[in-house]
Amino acid sequence: MTDKLSQSADKVLDHYTLFRQPEYAAMFEKKKTEFEYGHSDEEVARVSEWTKSEDYKAKNFAREAVVINPTKACQPIGAMFAAQGFEGTLPFVHGSQGCVAYYRTHLTRHFKEPNSAVSSSMTEDAAVFGGLNNMIDGLANAYALYKPKMIAVMTTCMAEVIGDDLQGFIANAKNKDSVPADFPVPYAHTPAFVGSHIVGYDNMIKGILTNFWGTSENFDTPKTEQINLIPGFDGFAVGNNRELKRIAGEFGVKLQILSDVSDNFDTPMDGEYRMYDGGTTIEETKEALHAKATLSMQEYNTTQTLQFCKEKGQQVAKFNYPMGVTATDELLLKLAELSGKPVPASLKLERGRLVDAIADSHTHMHGKRFAVYGDPDFCLGMTRFLLELGAEPVHILSTSGSKKWEKQVQKALDGSPFGASGAAHGGKDLWHLRSLIFTDKVDYIIGNSYGKYLERDTKIPLIRLTYPIFDRHHHHRYPTWGYQGALNVLVRILDRIFEDIDANTNIVGKTDYSFDLIR
Amino acid sequence: MLQDKIQDVFNEPGCATNQAKSAKEKKKGCTKSLKPGAAAGGCAYDGAMIVLQPIADAAHLVHGPIACLGNSWDNRGSKSSGSQLYRTGFTTDLSELDVIGGGEKKLYRAIKEIVQQYDPPAVFVYQTCVPAMTGDDIAAVCKFAAQKLGKPVIPVDAPGFVGSKNLGNKLAGEALLDHVIGTVEPDYTTPTDVCIIGEYNLAGELWLVKPLLDEIGIRLLSCISGDGRYQEVAQAHRARVTMMVCSQALVNVGRKMEERYGIPYFEGSFYGVSDMSDTLRTMTRMLVERGADKGLIDRAEGVIAREESRVWRRLEPYKPRFDGKRVLLFTGGVKSWSMVSALEGAGLTILGTSTKKSTKEDKERIKKMKGEEFHQWDDLKPRDIYKMLVDNQADIMMSGGRSQFISLKAKVPWLDINQERHHAYAGYDGIVNLCEEIDKTLSNPIWRQVRQPAPWESGPSSTLLAAE
Repeated sequence: MTDKLSQSADKVLDHYTLFRQPEYAAMFEKKKTEFEYGHSDEEVARVSEWTKSEDYKAKNFAREAVVINPTKACQPIGAMFAAQGFEGTLPFVHGSQGCVAYYRTHLTRHFKEPNSAVSSSMTEDAAVFGGLNNMIDGLANAYALYKPKMIAVMTTCMAEVIGDDLQGFIANAKNKDSVPADFPVPYAHTPAFVGSHIVGYDNMIKGILTNFWGTSENFDTPKTEQINLIPGFDGFAVGNNRELKRIAGEFGVKLQILSDVSDNFDTPMDGEYRMYDGGTTIEETKEALHAKATLSMQEYNTTQTLQFCKEKGQQVAKFNYPMGVTATDELLLKLAELSGKPVPASLKLERGRLVDAIADSHTHMHGKRFAVYGDPDFCLGMTRFLLELGAEPVHILSTSGSKKWEKQVQKALDGSPFGASGAAHGGKDLWHLRSLIFTDKVDYIIGNSYGKYLERDTKIPLIRLTYPIFDRHHHHRYPTWGYQGALNVLVRILDRIFEDIDANTNIVGKTDYSFDLIR
Repeated sequence: MLQDKIQDVFNEPGCATNQAKSAKEKKKGCTKSLKPGAAAGGCAYDGAMIVLQPIADAAHLVHGPIACLGNSWDNRGSKSSGSQLYRTGFTTDLSELDVIGGGEKKLYRAIKEIVQQYDPPAVFVYQTCVPAMTGDDIAAVCKFAAQKLGKPVIPVDAPGFVGSKNLGNKLAGEALLDHVIGTVEPDYTTPTDVCIIGEYNLAGELWLVKPLLDEIGIRLLSCISGDGRYQEVAQAHRARVTMMVCSQALVNVGRKMEERYGIPYFEGSFYGVSDMSDTLRTMTRMLVERGADKGLIDRAEGVIAREESRVWRRLEPYKPRFDGKRVLLFTGGVKSWSMVSALEGAGLTILGTSTKKSTKEDKERIKKMKGEEFHQWDDLKPRDIYKMLVDNQADIMMSGGRSQFISLKAKVPWLDINQERHHAYAGYDGIVNLCEEIDKTLSNPIWRQVRQPAPWESGPSSTLLAAE
């Protein structure tokens, strides 16, 4: 008896092969004719073409109510990420229970690591009467079950709509002995209907610092030589934070990262399950008040926090996801200026090597047109690096981008002849970007995994360089900051360019005159 | 309104757990109230999305702040052979002003923009916590939009805070019953038309079963909702027999379709050899009882005989490799028992299974099959799972993504059998796929590497391990 189906024991076909076999093609075709009640193929093709037109773009940009494929997440996930960078800290999300499951999954799918967080699991009753009891029981349970060193409280929309008073609730819970009176329970209000994950990050860092540094202004705290650094919400945090620490080591600067998730999101497989790992310790967080300065790697992630640091008498400096030669130079110069130490020889060597690498490959980057999307700071950093490489950033889009951000991007574009065809699009989504790419073609898209649908529709190659990356593994372990990081980014872009050239020249006897061994 | 719906779902007579309850317990509902401060699963909105999102040609619009959609769009591996619209994330992205001033107008405009730009056969509108609390009446907006735009616009009233994922599943089912099922008449019907409820075509699982149905001569009139089309779901009321796959999730739909349209239903499973055969037998028998040609039964038996012999032949090579291998199985509902029988058939030893999402019948079945000694864990804490793994009590753990790392960090091989899996495990072919994956996972050289100490760490315990 012959097997009716293509699937056989000798060779188990994967889904992408199996469902292409003739019997499945026939089955799908039958489904389409009998059950889909869709439009004709011709009509679908006609409309599909129309969605690529200027006419459609005008309609698409006139959209005012529906947001389609947004490139942002909500405040609490940013707050949770910020809290997870502190030693033994359990994020406690006050509000309805489903949200926290989403955040955990989202982060896990990117980092391929577990992450801990709990919810106060408010229900309808709590919505009516307020969530005080959930806070009291919740803190007690979380403290007993997961033995954290600190519980960082943030909110979902639900608690914010009711207007739960976190400060009062936490004080109440402490009075009821949910946690010891001296146990740190910093908090931040993080309504999802305001801002996005980067604002949540800002709020939580400020909440934690406020908890340890006190609320009143204090310009007179004695300062040390230490420099604090806040990385911001960063999908490459594992690689980047470690790279920053390495750079500080080369410099001989005492650099304190505030919220360091690099170990928490990269635990070894050694037989021990770590609920928490690494992170900025509570002692270090307290000490950080005395640092002479605080640097922010991502301006839009730290607006309020930096202001707070300033009020504490610290010098502050902000960057916009610094990538590339000039951006790294600026960071190192700032470290040199603040520490009074010269840029170390080892880093100078790294710079030389990076510049050499760029020079080796610049012809392949020159004039290539890019669409870039993601968080505001990432877009700025990426745009500047592309300009430096002689590439042309054309569409720069961020759903969280503001008018101020648009101006900042424009300023970067105006500073280079390669920026002439570029424009910033704040508050727009990936469906807008689709129209932009169809009406004004680019060579490559830089973004995250969600861009794969743009790649499919436009046939323009996607380079995944920002959170979230769900469908490629382990990139977050490599830095994108510093000269080494810039080299990584350069190689990622170049690889994609070369793969693209190869893929377009590999037809035997037809296009393979350009299928070259040496590129 | 919503409260009545929830009460109605809690009173579901089709659910055995419910039937066993006192009136007072019934009122309390079946959602166990969650322990604040403990790790929690998905919410009702998530549950509703799980059920409806696989309807691939419809637009799924989330009415809420960025939170609900921003973290969840396109997050399930439910496959479609046609439209890919269901993968697109639509939201009203409510802002502070909408919270203060109400979001109903914005919702209507959003529906209109979707209809204008995408012209889908229907728009599903999901209620979320914030507009539910501020009092946006999505049912009224949907009704108005449907009239104005001439399209079905279906309100799905399952805001996160009303309860668990499971409750959300059921509320999504209610939305289908109230607004979708029975609104379209099929072009033609046959005596072998069936409706399958609770199969989401994850990793293409429905497609491993569908060719067999075709061969037997059973017509899949409607699947709720794997590889779903709106029209297909809307004509489910003309099915002759309904099969409930994930019984806990959508029992209300099966039972109410029986009540309203007189369609008998049965609970079945596509997981495991004997369960797959039982399902085909029950389906054909019930169709014949309702007037289908008796030959159906013979054809089914023919397919079953051929497929069973084929599957056992294909599993044979795995048996010696699986000998003595112990499995910890953490999965929900029906899968708990049907997986157990399937895996034992392939020579694995099952140590125990979680029964958190299983019904009383599911548990009885396991007891009958495996005896009193067999472990059935209702609520095993991650810490306890970890302990079992560290104590070397299992060779492989099979579970969903959330407990993945407990296993991996304890150096125990792990296999994904939840919604994020990339391989289809349903049907006869699926069991072979599953065994292939287990075999790959068990035999991968990395596990030896992981369990051996580094070469510079020598000591009596490490040599012992190395010799293993």
